[in-house]
Parts: sequence; C-alpha cells; structure tokens
Amino acid sequence: MTKLLSPAKSKVLFLGNEAIARGALEAGVAVATGYPGTPSSEVIESLAHVASERNLYVEWSVNEKVALEVAAAASFAGLRSMAVMKQNGVNVASDFLLHLTASGTRGGLVLVSCEDPGALSSVNEGESRYFARMLEMPLLEPSDFQEAKDLTKWAFELSEQIGNVVMLRSVTRMSHASGNVICGKLPVKSRKAHFEYNGSVMDSSRGPMISTPVVAKHLLHQQKLKVVEALFEKSPFNRYVGAAKPELLIITSSACFLYAEEAIELLGLQKRVGILKLGTTWPLPPKLLEKHLRQTTKILIVEEVMPFLEENVKVLAAGLVNRIGAKTFFGKYDETLPSVGELNPDIVAAALCYILKVKSKTLPANYLSDSRKAAALIPAREQTFCAGCPHRASFWNIHNAIALDGHKGFVCGDIGCYSMAALSPATGYHTMPTLHSMGSGTGLASGFAKLAQFGLDKPILTVCGDSTFYHAVIPALINAQHNRADITFIVLDNAGTAMTGFQPHPGLAISAMKEVVPALDIAAICSAIGAKVAVSDPFDLETTGKILTSFLADKGSLKVLILRQACALSPEKKGKKIFEVKVNESLCLGDACGCNRLCTRIFRCPALTWDRTKNKAVVDEVICAGCGVCVSICPQKAIIKL
Amino acid sequence: MKNKPSSQTKLKKDVLEQSLCTGCGACVGLCPYQVVYRDRTVQLHNCDLTDGKCYAFCPRTPTDYRKIWEILFEIDEMTPEIGAVKGYYLSRAADPALRAKAQHGGTVTALLEVAMDEGLIDSAIVSSRNEEIEQEGRLVEAKSQLGDYAKSKFTVSPTVAAFNRVMGDTAGKVGVVATPCQALALAKMKTARINDDLKINQLNLVIGLFCGWTLSVESFHRLLQQYQISPEAVTGMDIPAGKNVLELYTNASVTSVPMVEVDACVRTACRYCIDSTAEFADLSVGAARFGGDCDEMRGWNQIIVRSEFGKQVMELAVARGALEIWEAPASALQDLKNVAAEKKRKALKNIVEKSRSVKNLLYLNSDDPVVKKYLK
Amino acid sequence: MKRTRQKETKNLILTGVGGQGNVMASRTLAGMLVDAGYIVTIGETFGMSQRGGSVMSHLRISPDSVKSPQIPRGRADVIVALEPLEALRVLTVYGNPQVCVLSNARPVYPIGVITGELSYPSEDNIQVAFQQLSKAFWIIDATSAALALGNPVLSNIVMIGALAKTGFLPIDRRMFEKEIKKTLAADKCAVNLKAYDAGGEMIK
Repeated sequence: MTKLLSPAKSKVLFLGNEAIARGALEAGVAVATGYPGTPSSEVIESLAHVASERNLYVEWSVNEKVALEVAAAASFAGLRSMAVMKQNGVNVASDFLLHLTASGTRGGLVLVSCEDPGALSSVNEGESRYFARMLEMPLLEPSDFQEAKDLTKWAFELSEQIGNVVMLRSVTRMSHASGNVICGKLPVKSRKAHFEYNGSVMDSSRGPMISTPVVAKHLLHQQKLKVVEALFEKSPFNRYVGAAKPELLIITSSACFLYAEEAIELLGLQKRVGILKLGTTWPLPPKLLEKHLRQTTKILIVEEVMPFLEENVKVLAAGLVNRIGAKTFFGKYDETLPSVGELNPDIVAAALCYILKVKSKTLPANYLSDSRKAAALIPAREQTFCAGCPHRASFWNIHNAIALDGHKGFVCGDIGCYSMAALSPATGYHTMPTLHSMGSGTGLASGFAKLAQFGLDKPILTVCGDSTFYHAVIPALINAQHNRADITFIVLDNAGTAMTGFQPHPGLAISAMKEVVPALDIAAICSAIGAKVAVSDPFDLETTGKILTSFLADKGSLKVLILRQACALSPEKKGKKIFEVKVNESLCLGDACGCNRLCTRIFRCPALTWDRTKNKAVVDEVICAGCGVCVSICPQKAIIKL
Repeated sequence: MKNKPSSQTKLKKDVLEQSLCTGCGACVGLCPYQVVYRDRTVQLHNCDLTDGKCYAFCPRTPTDYRKIWEILFEIDEMTPEIGAVKGYYLSRAADPALRAKAQHGGTVTALLEVAMDEGLIDSAIVSSRNEEIEQEGRLVEAKSQLGDYAKSKFTVSPTVAAFNRVMGDTAGKVGVVATPCQALALAKMKTARINDDLKINQLNLVIGLFCGWTLSVESFHRLLQQYQISPEAVTGMDIPAGKNVLELYTNASVTSVPMVEVDACVRTACRYCIDSTAEFADLSVGAARFGGDCDEMRGWNQIIVRSEFGKQVMELAVARGALEIWEAPASALQDLKNVAAEKKRKALKNIVEKSRSVKNLLYLNSDDPVVKKYLK
Repeated sequence: MKRTRQKETKNLILTGVGGQGNVMASRTLAGMLVDAGYIVTIGETFGMSQRGGSVMSHLRISPDSVKSPQIPRGRADVIVALEPLEALRVLTVYGNPQVCVLSNARPVYPIGVITGELSYPSEDNIQVAFQQLSKAFWIIDATSAALALGNPVLSNIVMIGALAKTGFLPIDRRMFEKEIKKTLAADKCAVNLKAYDAGGEMIK
C-alpha cells in the first residue's frame, strides 16, 4: 500500500506536495491535472500513482491552460477536480482563469500554485497571489504540512459552497519540505458526472457555463467573495500565537510562519512578539484583522516576494484608522525585509533585532574568524549539465556550427535543463543569450529572423525540449513558417520531461496513469507545418555538425533539427554506462600537448577531471555516464572507449 | 596576472579581424582551436596560451625576412622583386600525357614524380578540390596519383594544415606544393625552431606556385549563381592570356566571366600580399605567359630555382628525362620582375589605404629594404 | 540497544552534490524518526539545483513540534556530507563549536576546479578546518565501500550506517531495515543492509 493511502489517524511523513495530494483525496477529488514544474510536480505524480485504486482521472496536460480547462470540465459536471502548476503556470492558465472565475464552477475546483521564492528552480520569482485579487477568487496558504492537507481538503468544500474556483498557494519550502501529517478519512462514495445546461443563464447550478451577461455575472461573482470573507472570519486556519497585547504583531502566512516562530524562539521574544498566522489571505477577514491590529501599534508583515499581504493589510488598516488608530508598519515597503528572494529564520530574526533593538547571540569570535578563513578556501560549485547529458553534446555541436558558419549566429533559449546554457554561459559554450518563458525562444527567434531589413542579419537558432515543444512552441513555430522566418529550430529531445522528473508528455506512448496513449511525433508535426526536418543523435558529433552547418547556410526557410538522445538520468539509462571511458595516460600529453586542456577547460563534463600532479586528464569512474562524447574531442585520441 | 594576450587573441586581432588571413592553414591542425571551414579560418574555442605556434607561423604576423633569407638562401642571389634566383628557365613535363592533364606545362607534377622516384620525398601535399570548390590539402603517397591534382583552382587551400596534420606521422619526408603565403608559413616553421621541434625536418621540398590572387569561396559561389553554374559542375578554370576573362569549363560549356566581376570576388587578404612568385620555396613555378608571343608559350611553365636543394631536384628531373627546360631570355625575367614589382607596389598602396598611415604597414615592417623600395 | 528519547530539537544537515542520493538518504532517516514518534521536518531543494550543484537537506528532529524547514545559521548539531567540500561549505555557515561532522572522503570536483579556474582545498586544509570548526568529526571513504558492494550510489546508505554508529540520532539497524522494507525489493534491501553495516564498521 502506498503511503498516500495510509488509513485515517495514521501519522505519516509527507512531502508538502504529498500532503496536498492527500488532502485532495480526502476531499474526494475525481479529476486532477497539471503540467510538470518545480516545485509542483509531486502533487500530480503521487495522485497518478493511486489513480486506479481511487478511481481517479489524472492527466499530465499539454500545458497549464489546458490542465485548468480539463479540470474545469469535471467541475462543470459536478465532480471535484484540481489543476496543479508552478507559479508561472498560472500566467499560462490565466486567460481561461479570468473567464472561469466569471462563469463560476460547480463541483469543487481547486487551482494549486506552487511557487518558488528565490527562484531555486525557476527563471522567475513570479507571484501568483495577485491573481486572486485581480480575478476575485479566494486564496489559501498552508503554513505547515498538516495544514497543507487540511486546507486542501477544505478548499474543495469552499469552492463548492461558493460555486467558484479556489486557489491554494504553496512555496518551495512547503511543497518540497516534509513533515508529519495525521491522515483523515478517505471517502468511500464517488460522484457521477452530470452536466446540466438547460436552465436560465443566471442559474449557476443548471444554466450554461458562460461569463455573460458580464456585468450581472460579475456582481454575482463579487457577492460570492463577500460570503468567503465572512467564512474566513471564523476559519481555524487563521490563528494567533503570543501575548494578548504584544509589543510587535507579526502578520504572516505560508512557510514564513515557521520562520517567524523560529526567529522569535532564537531571540527569546515570545513575550514581546505575537504572530497572527493567516491561512486565508484573500479576501482578508476584516474583523479578525481589526481585533488584532487594535492590540498594538507596531506591525511587521512577513512574506516572500511581493508585498501582497502588506498592501492588503495596509488598505484595511487605512479604512479602520478611526477605530484602531495609527500604526507603524514594517515590511517590504520600509525595507525592514528584503523585497526579493526567499526568507529564512535568520532574515526574520534580523528584522526583529532591528525593530525591537535587541541583539542576537553570536558564536565566539575566534570560531567566526576560523570559519571565515575556511570559507575562503571553498570553490563555488556551479550547476552544470550532468555527466552524459545529451545537452552538453548538443550545445557543443551548436557552438561549433555557429563558429564555422562565421556569421555570429545565436540561440534563443527556452525552459528546461538546457536553460543552464543561458544561466551559466560557459555551460552552453556562450551560444544562448536569451531565456524567457516556455516556448518563447521560438517566438523570439521568429522575431529576430525578421530584422534583416533593419540590419540584423545573422543566423537565428532556437532550442526547446520535447515537452516544451508541445507546451507552447507549436504556435510560435507555425508563426515562423507562415511569416517566412528563416530560423534553425532545434528540438533537444531527451525522451521525457527530464528536469522535473521524467513525467510523460504527448510525444510518449504512455500517460500519467501508465496507460498506453498515442504518441505525437515531433518530426511529423514539423513536416506537416512545411519545415525542412532532420533527425540526428547529438552524440554523433560529425553527422550532427554537418546537418547544422548546412542548415545555417541554407537561407530563407524554417529548418528543424531533432536531436534525439535520452537523458542520462532517465530510468532506462540511469546507472548504466554505454561505454567504459578511460584516459590512456601514455597518449595524453598533458600540458605538453597543444590542446590546452580542451577536454576539461572547455568541454566541462563533471566526470572528466584533471589530475594536477600527473598533469593528465582523468575520468572519474563514479561520475562518468559513459556517453563517449569526450572520446570524439580529444585531438590526441587519448580518451578511449573500452 | 595575465598581462600577455594569448596568441589566439593576437591572431584574431592582428590577422583575422584585419581581413589579412590568407587561409593557408598554418595555424590549423596544431591544436583543436583553429579549424578551416570552407576557405575561412575559424577559432572554435578560446585558448589562453601565449607563445603559440599559430601566431608564430602565420604568414601575416610580423616576420624577420632577413633571417629566413640567411637560413634558406644565398644572400647574394636575392632580388627585391622576386626573392632568391639561382636559376630561371622555361620548362615543361616531357610526358605529353601529363601535360594534357596539367594547367600549363605539368612542371610541378614532373618535379614531384622525380622527387618521389628518387626517394627525396616519400609523400607530397597538394591541394584538392571538393564539389563546392572548397580546397583541402591532401597527402599523396602514390606517384601515380600526383597528376590527378594538377590543375589550378583559384581558391585557397589550407595546405599547411595538411602538413601540420601529417607531421610526425608515417608520411616520411614530405614535399609540399605551396602558394606564396603557404611557402612563407612553411619557411617560418623551418626557421623558427620553436621548442626544438624536430618534426619540421620532415619537410624536405617546397615547390611554390606563382599566385596573383585567390577567390573567396562565398563570393565566388554567388558569382557562379549569377551565371547559373553549380559549383560541382565546374571541371576547370583558366585565365587565357590577353582576353581579360576567367573561363569556366563545365562538361557542357565554356563560360567567360569578365575579370571586373572576378576581381570583386578576390579574397580581401590577397590585396595585401606582396609576393607573387612564392619567394620562400625551393623552386617556384608559374605559367609562362609573361612577355614574348603568348600563344607560343602556352603549354610551358616558367621556373625559378631558389635553393640549392631546388636546383638538385630540377637537375635530376632533367637528367631523368622527366622535365624539358629552356634557358629563358633575359627579357622574360625582366618582365616577370616588373609584374612582381607592380604587385608589391599595389599591395603596399592597399595596405596604407587600410591602415591610413605609411608608418603602420600591418604585418610588414616599414624598415624592411624591400618594403621601403616599393612603398611610394 | 535501547536509546533514550531525545528531549531537544536536533538539527541535522545532510549535504552533497546533486545525484549522490541526498534526498533518498534524508527521507530514509526521516521515515525512521517519524516511526520512532518524532516530529520531523525536512527542508530540501531539488529540480535544477540538482544538476551538478550543491544540495542540502535540513532535518529538524523535534519531540513535539513542526520546525522551520530551514535551520538558522550556526545552529546545526550534526552535519553529514556525501562530499568533503560540501561538508566544509555547510560547516562554515551552519557550524558552531558543538557541531559534529561526518563526511565522505571522496571529492567531486566542481566545474570551476575542473576547468582550472578554481582550486579544491587540500585534504590537510579540510581536516584542519574540520578540527577547528567542530566538536568531533569523522572522514570515511564511503564511496569505496559502496563501490566494493557494486554500486557507488550506495554511499548514502554507508553514511547512514556510520551516522547510526556515532549515536547522534536515536536510530538503529532494526529501524533502518523496517524503513527500507517499505519501498525496496528484498534483494535491494539486502545490499542496502550490507552498505549500512559497512558504514557502521568505519566508525571506531
């Protein structure tokens, strides 16, 4: 039996995302959809795992907008459903979401956004809480693992009660942290899907699901939010910890609550500082806020990324000023807390020290000085492509082709592990100067290719991964072909959504629930668009190089090169070496060779290192994945496959 | 820490970015960093080594000409126009079949064949053309194949790269057929003695080719496109004396392209070259078309013997009956010198136009007596 | 062996390089401790940070409450490192005079060291730093032990076995066996137990 289906009352260690999944199961979710993205992927993954046992439909959708649409259909048919994504996924889904909040929903529908303050595994610090305010939907934020489960369960009930979508926001330190959870009951009965649409247009339970008449429906929508506000006043997910009249009141939500608690404990400020922890952050419950704001004059708002809570509390406090008096607010606006990046207990403690003029305990001075000395010895550990990663070979090919072509072409980047080529330029051999959202590399390339008449006449390349291709690249590719954008489009096809953990995508013949499904062939799609299509193995440097140079010289059309080689960490490859690779020490000339350490200085594979005493290259057998690409680059042929 | 720029960086700044790269291949094949693609030298990845051979051997980096002369030639045989002259002849291969395959008189092939027969060289590096009229240096180890490469190609070949590749290999003693820039690169390699590299001793014979210019592959392809000729269809090319056209032969036709149009395709670097007779070779060979009755000279070469070894090779070829030579009339030598001097003047004028200063002659030294003589 | 129940929160940091099995090790440890009745909080990051970068799991082992998934600076009680440089990196941020360090001996060189731009500290420098910055430390060659068992990925289990032997945490072999049986097949369990035992033998 999987942990996720543990019986009621059992105490289990859940990843935050597993707790969310368990909460959904306890709420009787029937349909769960999503698109992989760190830190959200484990919610759908763990539900997919129990889909057949719990009679669920779980889908990795092509992108977040479609995921939300698929989930909404279930809701319209009276089922409980959820759509799960990372923060920027909400942007992708937002057009539909705007109309969905206007039309309303039926079965409980929860939108889960797992966000990444500090961008630990993102290329943005996107903040989706503002969508709750902008699109007028309730927002819930769990601050520990038990709450992640309980709040998710309640989110379905709330959604059903008000007939609208509810957003649940988690963060990396919640989704990818683990903690104890006491399980609740899993429902026995399941619902039957039934979509009723013959009622009047204003009948939210029997009429058509549309957002018109807009103004009338908008009013209805806002009335629902008033109901929510009243419910939030009494929610057990909002609670206060601390003295009745604290010197300083912290208002916080999410993992920041744990940081605040820890900071207070570190400084021994339990008697001076109280915490109002909110699980319901939009709309704010005004009476609850008023009650706590009355008790003190100093308020610190602790939250990550944007000052969402701070702004909303301030607006409320401004309206209440006659009743609660003037307050001093600390937070992001006055720079007590940093306006960017993630928080931690130390940052919150520093803010408390500043506000309350206290000092924290420090380590002995000699310890700190030894520690600083040791720290100076530590070289940075840059992220890089794994040993055996096909992307390294692909970018090696791309770099060489651009250099040979000699017209200073460049690559528009996209989202995946290959983004590292932009994040750390030497990893991509300095080829990829742009990186934005999923699919935008191809859109940008399509634009760059039209600038020749204004004097920018260079070969334009772009890359995307196989999963990204389906997610958002296809429209941009069609745009490029239709508008005669001369681009070389390269699909880095590593047979799965590798960065987030090998979730299947439409190119594979298997679904999230391990059913056999039709696989859509990227080459066939590109051919159908009318592009010139070639397929190659990036590990075959010679063939791939020839195709690329010929594509760059071939002017005036859309060229597609699919570089196919499975990820080194993929289940079928992991732990298995294609070749045993070794350095023949008698052939490696070390510093005496004219190669100037091409293999280690330029190629940058973590498994190919340099022995500084022997002055020779050496393959680390523990790390080497045996791809054999380095064998092709050594001018002395000193690296050999056994 | 690193004050000294890398050789690669200097090569890039002083040669590649100045459009001085002749594409000779001297910097290619020594390391994984420089390669030739089509007729361009490409720096693939950054190399931070200083004192690199790439910079030292390049014919377009500063050169101590005096030192090379002293080592390779007799100082009293030096002429300002065409370098060392030990002897000057008109020549042709004795074998009519070989002449028929050759661009002019087949002298180069005849010399190589004899050198190979006599064990003076074990293999030869010649240039060969692929379908795109891109050249590559090719190592030929069988005498019977030498004739297959005996045609003018008018685009540059990275011949020296081929030499770099075979050095130390099994090629044995090597003869190289080289354009002026390539012959200079090889002479720099022979005289530089970097790291006491003994491999250079494999280089036994350099036969120079007279050269007015080469064509840029990219521009030339565009020109061919205008004439609706595909590069792979071209079987040969010639500049017939007195007509001021480039004739392009295909199996189906002969196309005459006016020289004005051809001039526009000349590789930029060639405009700054002061050497038309491969002054640093053992022997230099060209078409016998200067002076006299042009038509009568067709099918003949002129040959400048420069080094003692070059003299031996030629005499051996004559003695073996492989080469026919005539003592050339003095007027022919003077005509050749006049034409060569004119190229020097023009190149120096182009250099000054580019650098905008008579004090900055790019790769040349304004104190060099030859340079001084023609810098007017 | 009967272990006394811990009354204070213990802070353990498990560190290493992406791909070394850090996450698996921290979850295994946490699973054992949850079964023993502790409230465990793990903070970790994965995704892109795994790709050759430094990875860290923060384990908070509390008798009574959920803790922040991030340990404050200078507040680690135990540092377990699958790679010595990462031990040092964590030690200089989360260390204090009372901290204990258990580190694998085998280096994984950062790319900057491989390219020659940076230097990896010498074994001596690392030892001296451990000495200065910890109450006690062990450096064991877990990778070689794992290789001897046929798979370098078992290094993390060797480290767990060694950690159990140090007695810093209320864990033992029986708990480990119970935990791995939840997820692993019988043959895998056997080799994991061997790795666990090999780790224990390295702590004298």
